[in-house]
Amino acid sequence: MSSDTVDSSQSQAIQDEIIELEQRLEKAKAKLKGAQGNLSTPPIEVPSSNGPLTSSAHHFLLLLADSALPLGSFAFSSGLESYLAHTRPKSSFPAFLNFSLSSYASSTLPFVLAAHRNPIDLIELDDTLDAAIMCTVGRRASVAQGRALLSIWDRSFSSALPAGASPAAVAALKEFTVQLRATSSNVTTDLPTASAHLGPLFGAIAGILGMSLRQTAYVFMLSHVKALLSAAVRASMFGPYHAQKMLASVEVQEGILKVIDQEWETRIEDAGQSVPVMDLWIGRHEMLYSRIFNS
Amino acid sequence: MTSPFPASSSTPGEGQIVVELLPHGISALSTITFQYPLKLISPSPAAGQKSVLVFLLTYGGGLVGGDRVHLTINVKPNAKLSIVTQGHTKVFKSPSRDVITRQRLHVTVQANAALCLLPDPVQPFGESVYQQSQSFFLADTASLCLLDWVSAGRTARGEDWDLHAWSGRNEVWAIPEVGGKARLLLRDNVILEGDVPGSKGKELRDKMQQMGIFGTLVLRGPLVQDLAEFFLSEFATLPRIGARDFRSQDNVDKDNGITLSPQEIWRQARLKQEKADSILWSAARVRGCTVVKFGARTVEGGRHWIGNILKQERSIARVFGDDSIMCVR
Repeated sequence: MSSDTVDSSQSQAIQDEIIELEQRLEKAKAKLKGAQGNLSTPPIEVPSSNGPLTSSAHHFLLLLADSALPLGSFAFSSGLESYLAHTRPKSSFPAFLNFSLSSYASSTLPFVLAAHRNPIDLIELDDTLDAAIMCTVGRRASVAQGRALLSIWDRSFSSALPAGASPAAVAALKEFTVQLRATSSNVTTDLPTASAHLGPLFGAIAGILGMSLRQTAYVFMLSHVKALLSAAVRASMFGPYHAQKMLASVEVQEGILKVIDQEWETRIEDAGQSVPVMDLWIGRHEMLYSRIFNS
Repeated sequence: MTSPFPASSSTPGEGQIVVELLPHGISALSTITFQYPLKLISPSPAAGQKSVLVFLLTYGGGLVGGDRVHLTINVKPNAKLSIVTQGHTKVFKSPSRDVITRQRLHVTVQANAALCLLPDPVQPFGESVYQQSQSFFLADTASLCLLDWVSAGRTARGEDWDLHAWSGRNEVWAIPEVGGKARLLLRDNVILEGDVPGSKGKELRDKMQQMGIFGTLVLRGPLVQDLAEFFLSEFATLPRIGARDFRSQDNVDKDNGITLSPQEIWRQARLKQEKADSILWSAARVRGCTVVKFGARTVEGGRHWIGNILKQERSIARVFGDDSIMCVR
């Protein structure tokens, strides 16, 4: 049952890709014809909705999915290190990966999707997510990466905005940056007006850069898996080839698609922790005698 | 502000409690109403009572599939209320996944008032579907002590997280002094999704990692400040995981000769018990609230652990009276 839906959504994704590649081929042909001065044939219609944005959206998709994106994700293991210390010698990476995917998706993905759908609500989404993170270690990890992403946006991406970017969403991000600066200068209060958590910022920025909602969700979850695998390699659980093998595996692909489908309609009020012990592992990371990660 | 006079309503499961401070400085109930299946009992007030005690009960001792309970509580300025239960809140099997048993609690705690909610754990039976939503609207100087815990079910009958679905949401909101919108301080949401019928593995059981109970304690406000600090400092002094004893044998012998403070003796005993009962816990400050999360292999182990800490720290019994912690003793 579940493998059917995964298959159909996979074949749907491939079909989308084929359609899109065909459109690009037509466009390139049209350009070639134009360059050859053969203007008598009418240019082929390209659906304007994703036409002009597509190529730049792909460009940004690759940038945001790149492990060289300077978010500092390598510093965090999202509870893996603590899990190992708590469950040795019965630890199992595939089991942890499942827990982590489920937990991260149920607690954070609804905020990514909501920020992509309504970037105007960014400040509120950020504040609500801040209220929903129950441990200091997890909050620190999310905020560190969120601030890094905002800096990348500020210093690097914002000068290369794609033509179709929504001005309202860009303004919302600008407003958010202003709020964040105001908070930093006023550290005495218990309640920050803005924290810059990774999830909502990722959703809003990916949306502005023209990525589709599904792409955004997939890249967000895939980046999480990549960070976990990279942490596992550095914690010497297994080597880099095994890590690539897992990353490429059908299980990981299906796992990501499954959690995305599960959380697609989840309202942010209903986001929450689906693996309660994860909060304990992450919260107790500070109790480790020796540690190589920040979370 | 809620009217002190309850609107005459006969919706099943509705209830209302209003507590106020009487002129001679004793908290008392000004309203207590309830409809089947909800039942509220309050012992007749004693002369020196520190808070009003209310038992939150259900007819038949549990909630049947599809039951809805909706309790509204208003604690007026300077008043104190403690809520307890008599035994686990049992959640019986639902005929199907769509029949949801719901419990809602809407609480307002006004200036300098306090609420202590230390119930027994919720016990979801196999194939039960339960949704609990508790919102606490606190004035700036209000205090709240809230425990929400869920057990693996009827373990004596072999149940081990065999529920269909369980979700428990606790929200703490700050109400502004003059007008304006309430601000969300904390939203703790635990979602346990049972396995679909016919699935191979026991996914939820794996996720729960042999815990028989999982709980969350939320503390906010001046009257529970001491307890919050106590949890945070005990958490900070937990022995490091994976630490080794680098002391020489001489030093170990010398250290063994030192007479420990009563506090230290208590702590050593607690750590021993934590190990025996496989207790995992963490404490953190979240936007002005203190959140303690814990898991234990057995319900009794978890109850003993939290009761032991509350007894050692003493401030809850001092502020709310001894009866307020009867469910964790």
